Amino acid sequence: MKSNHRPPEWAVRFFEWYCNRHLTDAVLGDLLELYARRCAVIGRRRANWLFVFNVVLFLQPFAFKKKPISPHTNYIAMFRNFTKITWRNILKYKMYSAIKIGGFSLSIAICLLITLFVRDELSIDQHYENGELLYRVIYKSDDPADSWKGTSFPAPIAAVLKENFADIEQSGRLIAFDGWFRAGGNLFRPADQVTNVFEERFAYADQEFIEMLEIPMVYGKRAHALSEPGSILISRRKAEKYFPNQNPVGKVVIINDNESEPFVVGGVMENLRNTHIEGIDFLITLSGVEFWNGEQTSWCCWNYSPYIKVRPGTDPDALEEQLLSVRDNYIIDYGEKQGRQGADKARKYHSLVLQPVGDIHLRSKDISDFLEVSDIQIVWFFIAIAAFIMLLACVNFINLSTAKSANRAKEVGLRKVVGSHRGSLIQQFLTESVIFSTISVLLGVLLAAMAMPYFNAVAGKDLAFPITEWWFIPTLVLFALGIGLLSGLYPSFYLSAFKPISVLKGRLAGGSKNSFLRSGLVVFQFTTSTVLIVGAFVVHQQMQFILNKKLGFNKDQVIMLHGANTLGDKLPVLKEELLNLSQVKHAAVSSYLPVKGTKRNGNMFWKDGRDKIDVGVSAQIWRVDPDYIDVMGMKLVEGRNFSDDIASDSAAIVINQTMAKELGLENPVGEWIMNFGRWVVVGVVEDFHFETLKGKIEGLAMVRSGNGSILSVKVDTGDMANTLSSITGVWDRFKPNQPIRYTFLDESYARMYADVRRTGDLFSAFAVFGIVVACLGLFGLSAFMVEQRAREISIRKVLGASVRIILQLLTLNFLRLVTVSLVLAVPIGWYIMDFWLRDFEYQIPITWNVFVIAGFLVVLIAALTVGFESVKAALINPANKLRSE
Amino acid sequence: MKGSHLGEFEELVLLTVAILYDDAYGLSILDKLEKQTDRKIMISSVHKTLVRLEDKGYLKSHMGGATTRRGGREKRLYQLTQAGIVVLNKVKELRNSMWKQVPKIIWQGGGI
Repeated sequence: MKSNHRPPEWAVRFFEWYCNRHLTDAVLGDLLELYARRCAVIGRRRANWLFVFNVVLFLQPFAFKKKPISPHTNYIAMFRNFTKITWRNILKYKMYSAIKIGGFSLSIAICLLITLFVRDELSIDQHYENGELLYRVIYKSDDPADSWKGTSFPAPIAAVLKENFADIEQSGRLIAFDGWFRAGGNLFRPADQVTNVFEERFAYADQEFIEMLEIPMVYGKRAHALSEPGSILISRRKAEKYFPNQNPVGKVVIINDNESEPFVVGGVMENLRNTHIEGIDFLITLSGVEFWNGEQTSWCCWNYSPYIKVRPGTDPDALEEQLLSVRDNYIIDYGEKQGRQGADKARKYHSLVLQPVGDIHLRSKDISDFLEVSDIQIVWFFIAIAAFIMLLACVNFINLSTAKSANRAKEVGLRKVVGSHRGSLIQQFLTESVIFSTISVLLGVLLAAMAMPYFNAVAGKDLAFPITEWWFIPTLVLFALGIGLLSGLYPSFYLSAFKPISVLKGRLAGGSKNSFLRSGLVVFQFTTSTVLIVGAFVVHQQMQFILNKKLGFNKDQVIMLHGANTLGDKLPVLKEELLNLSQVKHAAVSSYLPVKGTKRNGNMFWKDGRDKIDVGVSAQIWRVDPDYIDVMGMKLVEGRNFSDDIASDSAAIVINQTMAKELGLENPVGEWIMNFGRWVVVGVVEDFHFETLKGKIEGLAMVRSGNGSILSVKVDTGDMANTLSSITGVWDRFKPNQPIRYTFLDESYARMYADVRRTGDLFSAFAVFGIVVACLGLFGLSAFMVEQRAREISIRKVLGASVRIILQLLTLNFLRLVTVSLVLAVPIGWYIMDFWLRDFEYQIPITWNVFVIAGFLVVLIAALTVGFESVKAALINPANKLRSE
Repeated sequence: MKGSHLGEFEELVLLTVAILYDDAYGLSILDKLEKQTDRKIMISSVHKTLVRLEDKGYLKSHMGGATTRRGGREKRLYQLTQAGIVVLNKVKELRNSMWKQVPKIIWQGGGI
């Protein structure tokens, strides 16, 4: 028998790892004895094998379960003790507790709001019973020179889709862009009332559209709410406004004071919430509608957005493949019959694709539609912000807990001496952080509830706490636990690792030293805050740039009077009377204005006689009156304006510079161009921005017309209120039953950029919160540092150090960390904001001064934060601190 | 469940501890049991039973008697407690009283 035979080391170690202390030696001794015996009898290999087998067999609860130290361990009493100690600590270090809880609850409030926001965004269009069968059809061009996706199709599309494809069960069309006949804003009244009221959200839809989108009904049947020509579907809130306490189905309503074309209410729908057509209050049927002769059967004009419902089990990819026949047999066919060019290109690059209806709200970034959609990137941005702010608060907690470890070290040491295990110490500190996070969650919910109205205003939402949902409270509890454990993990392991002997002797490891981790956390916080500040600055600058950019027209002191079309013949008289007012300089009638929400169209232009030869130039054609250019303060660079006095000017056209260039006209004045008619160019107007600055200026032409829905008035006045009341006086003489409705051109312009302003506001708000949370942490850390070094400072002062040197000593370290964060924040901030600005065709350059200002601000705030406690320490009378020694 | 009930194997282990008196530890108990009962017994089940009997209060233990053969590790030596002695006696009395109640005819090979 050789005693140098040893069983596999790993098995021994494994056994020692899992076995409890009560049995380790006893059992392992037995096993080794057995092993030695077996080695002699059956050889080493089989003995090894049996040893391992035995080790595995011992893997039973009795072997790894810890024997309780005392048979009567009372967990409840222990937790009661932990809670008591926590409570005492909160009260003892009020300031630090306030910082921890304050930072936490602020961040939790923000997180809650953002979570509700994100939940709301993600829930849009997810509620349809047949949601997976619903698609919006999109026309897509992959042409590398001109790639785009659009939702508009010619009128016959819906019928063609349904009749030609067996997989398509239903199809319906929607027109939701402002300015298309009655889509957008209109004057509205029930037939038995006289006062016209302006209502903003009208759209056209097919009967099958409301069936596919399962629009919930209050009154009337969904199955035939829009089936009759001339029927209209109104939302619950509008029904309550115009027909309180009655069923409006069958009632007659008048739009734009046009009594010759009344509409009949076909039904009342629930307010459209949580859909991509949210907010639409009036749906006018497309049944029997023909906007002009032959419009419904022609493939000329692209204005309808088709939706389809496929049969269950349809493969959308295969269907897309089949849909190419629509492109070939109808769209290209029509173009060829018109003698248009570009059929080869269309065959090569164009296609019809299906977009699930559930994707419309968040995944339509590159699709031009006329709906107010959001984007998944914004949702991600919000989630990232929430996560960052939550992390900042956790970092504060970790920072302060480890920094304050000196105060707890003796407690830890003593607890260990009287027999506490590391496990139960970890438990204690985790309990503590969970208590902190629970208090913070409660406060956070309170804060969020108070901030909810403001948040809703900024985010343009209508959020509320889902307090009645069964999962809400449990989720909050889980959240409190999660945050508590996340932030408590590191401190509890750190604190519980103290060696009793050294802490009781008074030596403390780590606590007051500036650990690498703690510096890292401070850097992280300040980097995040700086990036947010830079973001807020850049967005703000871009907004200023947008508002002050030279646009090619003058948006100041222009009043837009809406609903002018209802005046009919009296419109020129109204215009004359307004011009008689001393403050009014110019007035012009047109439905087309260079702000969103006014009329738009799309046209193809060619040089005269070349429509069968060239690929056309797309451009808007605006119908304006001759005073329009004066009202808008536009500049003619060549030629003249058209005039009412020249009869031949009915064929005159004024084009913008871009259009002249695209048409290739060297000397445009006097040239003939064509679309469906022939026009002679009489003037060229300087390019002006008629769409948002996110896109390039495109071709635009103006022709003479006396009609339109908006009467724009250029005034020159220092007393706008007085001017408005004069104008209102004139209006009321003409239309006593229709309250005047006006907007200012500059305000309408600014409203086009509400999303930019919103982004700016959000960035600013988050930047403020970020910096507040970071400063709370920094303040706590510096206060603690000062406390730790109080005696050192006093001794330095006794030895002759000046206040300046002491301040330097105390603040330099922190400021160095803040500087590191600045260095990190510059590239990150630059990258993010550059990405954001790419959305704009016309953008500001990101300049270095943004970073300088942001950096200066952050350093200043940090210096003030750190300085507050440091100055106090530097000015203290050293005798006070040293007396107790 | 911990109770006063004594299983068959527990009873055997308890008796073995009593027999071995001052050298009752895992391996020695295993050897003795195997020799007495002539069955193959796993060392893990011996230890498991010992832990359970100690929990029930029939055994007490202390560490001692390390040898180089054991890699320098001490043995956990087990001893009967007063309760252990009482419970062994109870079991024995129960058996005796039940034996006495069995009709003699069984032992004489008579059929029923």
